[in-house]
Amino acid sequence: MKMIRAIIRPDATERISEALASAGFVSMTQIQVFGRGKQKGITVGTVHYDELPKTLIMMVVEDNRVDEAIALIQKQAYTGNFGDGKIFLSPVDAAYTVRTGAAGL
Amino acid sequence: MKEIIAMIRPKKVSATRNALVQLGYTCLTGIAVRGRGNQCGIAEEVGVTIHTDALYSSPAVGMRYVPKRMLSVIVPDDSIEKVKNAIIAVNQTGQIGDGKIFICPIEGALRVRTGEAGEAAIL
Repeated sequence: MKMIRAIIRPDATERISEALASAGFVSMTQIQVFGRGKQKGITVGTVHYDELPKTLIMMVVEDNRVDEAIALIQKQAYTGNFGDGKIFLSPVDAAYTVRTGAAGL
Repeated sequence: MKEIIAMIRPKKVSATRNALVQLGYTCLTGIAVRGRGNQCGIAEEVGVTIHTDALYSSPAVGMRYVPKRMLSVIVPDDSIEKVKNAIIAVNQTGQIGDGKIFICPIEGALRVRTGEAGEAAIL
């Protein structure tokens, strides 16, 4: 299993979650976060915004569907401008469902 | 070291915290998150009444996301089972929406105040 953490534009969240749900990736967690990337924030006129609001989507998927999920997120999050976000992939050793105590997703 | 990430019901946070303190793990991080599971979000999970007109006029039945708490606990390798079982024991209600637990590897840790690294930093 792998954990996908995607930091994306807040307005792309719904598009991504719809696309993921229709592909069968229903489970996910969303967190509102603030951060900055390589461009160190953004300057609009005379105002410099050091950190920008983003949404962090966190989901755990089976190894064989990781590429599919990442491609879906990338397609929906893409605008071509700075600030589209990043996707991080990290290993997950085990997952348990609290209700049943069973291992697995 | 492993990170135990538990998505649990918001009202179970203090019970979980007390159970972890009894095991000797006082450190944890909690974040208010929203999410959905295999059921794609269900309205019955939250203790609010939804007006019937609103329920039937909306195309989607139920709610899109359910508020949850995400707890992150870093534990040494040998106590993963103990902590995992304690979290399951406290949070199990048998209803859908009890949550998930993920166990992820952690490569290192550093206590900022003293500069201790590795397992000394988390205990």
